Amino acid sequence: MSTLDALQAALAEEHATLWTYGVLGARTSQSASPALYDAVTAAYRRHRARRDQLRLLVRDAGGEPVAAAVAYELDGALVRPPQVQRAAVGLEAAGVETLLALVARSSGEVRDWALTEATWSAVWQLELGGAAQTWPGAPELD
Amino acid sequence: MPGRPLTRRTAVVSAVGSALTAPFVLAACDIDPPASSDGSSPATPPPPEDAELVATVVAELVRAGAVLEAATLSVPALTPLLEPVAAAHADHLALLSGAVADADVPASEPPAIAAGRARALAAVRRSEQRLQRAVRQACLTAASGDLARVLASVAASTAQHGAALADPAVGQAEAP
Repeated sequence: MSTLDALQAALAEEHATLWTYGVLGARTSQSASPALYDAVTAAYRRHRARRDQLRLLVRDAGGEPVAAAVAYELDGALVRPPQVQRAAVGLEAAGVETLLALVARSSGEVRDWALTEATWSAVWQLELGGAAQTWPGAPELD
Repeated sequence: MPGRPLTRRTAVVSAVGSALTAPFVLAACDIDPPASSDGSSPATPPPPEDAELVATVVAELVRAGAVLEAATLSVPALTPLLEPVAAAHADHLALLSGAVADADVPASEPPAIAAGRARALAAVRRSEQRLQRAVRQACLTAASGDLARVLASVAASTAQHGAALADPAVGQAEAP
């Protein structure tokens, strides 16, 4: 897998993540679950910026940024706050895996950026109610 | 996992999976992600400079472990908070020290930790931040991409534990 392939894979994942966060935000009550609402909103903004940066990086690498799908799968019901919370933690965990793949396939500024974003997603899992892990993004090492 | 595209799921999983599963070999020992699904990725020994880099991270992990141990001895009530951090670092150390079989894993003198919970915690936080910087720098300079991935995971784990230490109320939930 080339750097461009890893960037495209990360961008495709980011499209899905952003779409899903949009759903999670729409199903989170700002008045009933303010902390979760704030955490989901902050994550949405971070991932929107991440998607935009990935588009730029793909173009810099000589590629045409992969487009978003029309819709994405949602696993199970996402109605109650704990369900939203679990889904958001899962999104960030998956994001760390994808970004670590980009770390492996890049160098210089791209690797630096991917590591920064992976670290943010790892830490944000805690804000969303997740727990610290030994090998975030590399579950095969557990 | 929510959010998979309805029409490109297979392509995305395949693309990401292949990057995650390349064999990683360092010095005389292996750090092996899962075998590649198509078996086509060759094992690529990293340049020798990575061994020195891993030795640096190993030394930092030993140092950080000594700080955690000293803090726990100084303030036993911190044990429940610090034990998960020490356990994670022990796993990191076990993997990385095995990858530099020819290098001696350094011993670290137990540092002096000031008495008192707040001071002990502050010392641990400073130590973890130093470790985080060292691992991050090693990740960015690693010649081997697969080693960089392992170090990125160590950096992410250290950042998570650091966040939990900064706010002990955070990160106490069960893993998803």
